[in-house]
Amino acid sequence: MKKKLLIAGVALAVFIYMKQPERKKRFLKEILRQVPFLIPRYYA
Amino acid sequence: MADYDVIVIGAGCGGLSAGALLARQGRRVLVVEQSGMIGGCCSTFEKDGFRFDLGASLIEDAEVINWCFERLGTSLPKEVDLVSCDPVYDVILKDGTRLKYPISSEESAKNIGAVAPGDVKGWHSYAEYMQGFLDAALKGFFLAPANTNADLVRLFRKTPQLLRYGPMFASSYQGVIEKYFKDPRIRESIAFQSFYGGLPPNTCPGYIAMVPWSEHAGIYYSKGGMIGIPRALERCGGKYGMTVRLKTRVNSVIVRNRRALGVILADGTEITSDLVVSDINAKLLYLEMIGEENLPWLARVGIKSYEYSMATPMLYLGVDYTPPLEGHHTLITRPMEELNDYWWNVYKKGRFGNEHFGIVSWTSHSDPGLAPEGHHVLVLTLQPGPYRLRGTSWDDCKSALTEEIIRYMSDRYIPGLADHVKVAELSTPLDFERRLLSPEGAIYALRQDLTSGVAFRPAAKSKSIKGLYLVGASTHPGGGVPTTIASGMIAADLIQQYE
Repeated sequence: MKKKLLIAGVALAVFIYMKQPERKKRFLKEILRQVPFLIPRYYA
Repeated sequence: MADYDVIVIGAGCGGLSAGALLARQGRRVLVVEQSGMIGGCCSTFEKDGFRFDLGASLIEDAEVINWCFERLGTSLPKEVDLVSCDPVYDVILKDGTRLKYPISSEESAKNIGAVAPGDVKGWHSYAEYMQGFLDAALKGFFLAPANTNADLVRLFRKTPQLLRYGPMFASSYQGVIEKYFKDPRIRESIAFQSFYGGLPPNTCPGYIAMVPWSEHAGIYYSKGGMIGIPRALERCGGKYGMTVRLKTRVNSVIVRNRRALGVILADGTEITSDLVVSDINAKLLYLEMIGEENLPWLARVGIKSYEYSMATPMLYLGVDYTPPLEGHHTLITRPMEELNDYWWNVYKKGRFGNEHFGIVSWTSHSDPGLAPEGHHVLVLTLQPGPYRLRGTSWDDCKSALTEEIIRYMSDRYIPGLADHVKVAELSTPLDFERRLLSPEGAIYALRQDLTSGVAFRPAAKSKSIKGLYLVGASTHPGGGVPTTIASGMIAADLIQQYE
């Protein structure tokens, strides 16, 4: 059940992302690209 | 006993404001500067009788700068001879439409109405919203330390009205502008200021969209050149015993047991101090002057992950005629989508483009003393230029590019320019790097977006090295004259609190 919910959640997020206009996609993409560095940057 | 209480590396506005305020706290302060002049990006140089501003060409949010001078027992108007620049901009759109933005909001609304009557209401709503944000943000956000989560909680507790503006932080500059304005020409006329945040409209954080409004509180020019501001800071600091040494390059920071204990100069001289304040690029500081071996691994990963901010070539021109322009600032801009396209498909691909745009600062319009009689000074802040040019180098193409830009501007925007240039000097990202030791010619040190800002920007009170404090564009609140001066105030407050 948990797995199904997770898959449905990811699919919904991807669907919402795909529906966004190009400029919003670019804005989100740029933020997502930097997300892995947030914790190290907090300690910088 | 150490040679000084505090050594400040770099005499930019952040370093000088921190140094002056710390000297006022009664500390023995030494400021060391690698170049032969103070001010960093906010400086002025002379060539063949003309005085040119190196980078910064105007003062916005003068209130913030004034707070610093008030803490030094004086005021901005007492220390710096300011000239008000009105209109804020004479904007030239791609289709040739001219739109003037006077300081007066009502007058600006009238001019907007002449181009797009439907957007006058949007202008008023935008102005009201942004003024509310500015009122909350200036003291609450720009002068508060943002080192830790606790700092952020304190910040929002102290200024809860900032929460109202949360949606702006989750949107892009373009998103905010498009919410208020429908006509593409009005959007175009205030699109360029996203580069004041160092990014194009579709990537720049939404809160930077306050800039086109904040300029209506007044923009100023410092008579004699922008160096007037750092000079005033140096003078005020000097009254409290602050010493500034020029042409003194720091090679490394002395670190023992993760504590800063002074600096080693390029000539090998060791100067000890209880505290070190850095006004240089944080990546350069941590990775080269302190050394990776002195950093905890997580901080090392964080520091390495930062991207440098954009670079911008500047063209300094001395001319022997009165240029046919309307005021101190002329903004030659492009439609929002073209700015985005330029960033991603031209700039990011290592090209500079041959359709030039940017800001023309006619500084001698505000201060005729900057040029010999009958002559004028124009400083062109051009579109972002990549540090690494594809297929050539800045040094190789500099001379041809200078000619090309002059011809382009002369043919389209400043008639007669090409026939009247007496002095021309192009400052490329490479020149910026050489002159200011700013890696990759980055004008705002590090990229400024939500993921590299506030608590995610290098901390003002170093989390890795005790006794080390950061000021300038590398730390919160980021690049710009008022913001770097604010960083100096934040560092001085933190030092007073902790040291």
